[in-house]
Amino acid sequence: MKLLSSYIKEMKIAARGFYFYVELGIAIIMLLILLFAIAENPDSKSKEYLFNDLPDAMTDAFVEEDIEEGVARWADDAELTLKPIAFEITNEETGELASYNYDEEKIVTARVLEKVNTQTGALTGTTYILDNEEDMIRLSYAEQAIGATTSLDDTGRLRYKYYLQGYETDRMVDLLYVLHNEDPDVFAASFDSQQVRTLDTFGTLNSRQGLVPLFVAFAGSLMGFFIVMAYIFLDKDEGVIKAFAVTPSSVWKYLLSKTMVIMTTVVVSSSIITIPVMGGQPNYLLFYLFVITTTFAFATLGLLVASFSKSLTQAFGALFVLAIMLMLPAFSYFIPSFDPVWLRFFPTYPVLQGYKEILVVGGNVGYVLMYSGVFLVGGTLLFLLANIKFKKTLTV
Amino acid sequence: MISVKNLSHSYNKDETKAVNNISFEVQKGETFGFLGPSGAGKSTTQNILTGLLKLQQGEVTVGGFDLKKVHNERFNKIGVSFEQSNVYGKLTAKENLKFYAKLFDVETRDPDELIALVGLQGKEKVRAGEFSKGMKHRLTFARSMLNNPELWFLDEPTTGLDPAIAATIKDIIREQQKKGTTSFLTTHNMFIADELCDRVAFIIDGEIKLIDTPKNLKLEYGKKLIDIEYVKDDKIVKETLKTVDEHDKKRISEIVNAYDIRTMHSKEATLEEIFIEVTGRGLV
Ligand SMILES: Nc1ncnc2c1ncn2[C@@H]1O[C@H](COP(=O)(O)OP(=O)(O)O)[C@@H](O)[C@H]1O
Ligand SMILES: [Mg+2]
Repeated sequence: MKLLSSYIKEMKIAARGFYFYVELGIAIIMLLILLFAIAENPDSKSKEYLFNDLPDAMTDAFVEEDIEEGVARWADDAELTLKPIAFEITNEETGELASYNYDEEKIVTARVLEKVNTQTGALTGTTYILDNEEDMIRLSYAEQAIGATTSLDDTGRLRYKYYLQGYETDRMVDLLYVLHNEDPDVFAASFDSQQVRTLDTFGTLNSRQGLVPLFVAFAGSLMGFFIVMAYIFLDKDEGVIKAFAVTPSSVWKYLLSKTMVIMTTVVVSSSIITIPVMGGQPNYLLFYLFVITTTFAFATLGLLVASFSKSLTQAFGALFVLAIMLMLPAFSYFIPSFDPVWLRFFPTYPVLQGYKEILVVGGNVGYVLMYSGVFLVGGTLLFLLANIKFKKTLTV
Repeated sequence: MISVKNLSHSYNKDETKAVNNISFEVQKGETFGFLGPSGAGKSTTQNILTGLLKLQQGEVTVGGFDLKKVHNERFNKIGVSFEQSNVYGKLTAKENLKFYAKLFDVETRDPDELIALVGLQGKEKVRAGEFSKGMKHRLTFARSMLNNPELWFLDEPTTGLDPAIAATIKDIIREQQKKGTTSFLTTHNMFIADELCDRVAFIIDGEIKLIDTPKNLKLEYGKKLIDIEYVKDDKIVKETLKTVDEHDKKRISEIVNAYDIRTMHSKEATLEEIFIEVTGRGLV
């Protein structure tokens, strides 16, 4: 009861204050950026890269068929620049890992097949046909587009190897299987030797959705960390903590009610950012579990920092260093090649990863649950420490 | 209600003591005053008694609870009015009291009634942030009465208030005294100490110099002073002299013999004069 009324009181104070609206304002700005400044798919026409390990005559025969049907047409050959890149792919079936690392830029020529809509004649996609498998793989990962190799097996059956980014929907992967299983002749061969490889990043997220984890982590957990401190320092300024300390209610109730206010605010702000962009796709139960546990951990970290200082100015040094540290993992988010192991120890790293897993179709629920647990336990420890510290420093 | 034995406190945990080896007892129903100049250690003592400062050294029981052990429930019986007002600026006067009341396990008083009592009627719905310093102080004072405290801590209850409001506050304290509330009151105002306290402790530099009733103090030190106004070189000169002091006695007869006396009467010493006599220092 005391906790509830304390929470209601803190909510009232927050709603009449400045920081609450700062938090919501930032969330709205982030949403506007996502909706209006970030295109859903920068290049909405689909691209694919092919290597046909087949006799030329066979390739041409396939293409001729498509051209006759009016679904494809030849375009001029293209010069493609292969930028330096490093990536890893796993064989879905065997789990085998292969690393690719290219330091040199390379220019190759590809035959270009344009796919057209038979009714409108509009261009719907482009297929680049490369003359070797390696370039095809490299391009498909550099461009984050699907890649495929077609070849013949010993018995003369067609065999397909797909190189996927890992963010294709399950539906699409199923489709690939179904597509080649239609023909009973292909079935055995294609199914048995089907090698679907995935790259272990991103998810089913388009470029707009890909930013949601970052924005939610920032407007959510990280803001919670700052704002809880702002609230505590406002109270220290007003001296109301002292008044609280001479009641039968315990300090932890005061601290927890503050934390609950932050969690409420962050639930609202993260919803503002996430729901309009992601729609009904994510598992919101998991999403809010993660929002609440991560915010709890960050808010309690804020409490602990606040317990050591008299004022925001005094806490500024610690704050500055912490803020930079907490933001570092965002770099790795944008630069996949920058992912040192030590970065994983920064608490924002699993926050970003966790949100990614939640928003991606078929994401790693186990990861999210595990880190929800970690943040809950970590937050509880920080909370206990903050509580001890606050009991001692009430008059400071 | 309060028992303090050999209490010392140092903010820096060193030899500089804000409170130095003080002992006193406060009886049930009594109003006990701490009188001393600013920086004497009054608030420090109150903050230790109310648990805001950790007890470092000494034996202290408050309302029957040993301060060495944590008993949050003791606050159901305790009310604290702070020297510096500390209410939520973002909450209205009434909300401030309403939410504070919820923190107690005992029956609490009606916020509206308390607001009216301290002369803030009509301001119930105004946010405390818009209040003047004096109004905030009154709200802080009103809040300390919410839980009908048996033991009431008042740190400088009238300081900074205009005289009319100070009078209201004094009336409220007297009213509570009649109801049997035990009070611990700190002040640097001798009139407050004189008018409201059953017993007064003189405190300076963290040490208690004396504890007695204002009446005894005046009996002992009072009626021994003579105010003389006389004319010297066409100017009126005023002197206050002690009738018990040999040097002063001589001076009195000198004045009487040499000058034209305008007025001359013996008077009761004020607590401040007694304070100066006892401690050698004034109250400011
Ligand atoms: N938080 C504090 N930290 C360090 N010294 C303090 C603190 N509060 C008070 N003091 C010092 O302790 C002494 C007693 O102060 P205080 O108890 O506030 O006096 P009073 O209430 O009688 O005016 C003063 O010398 C004051 O400067
Ligand atoms: Mg004081």
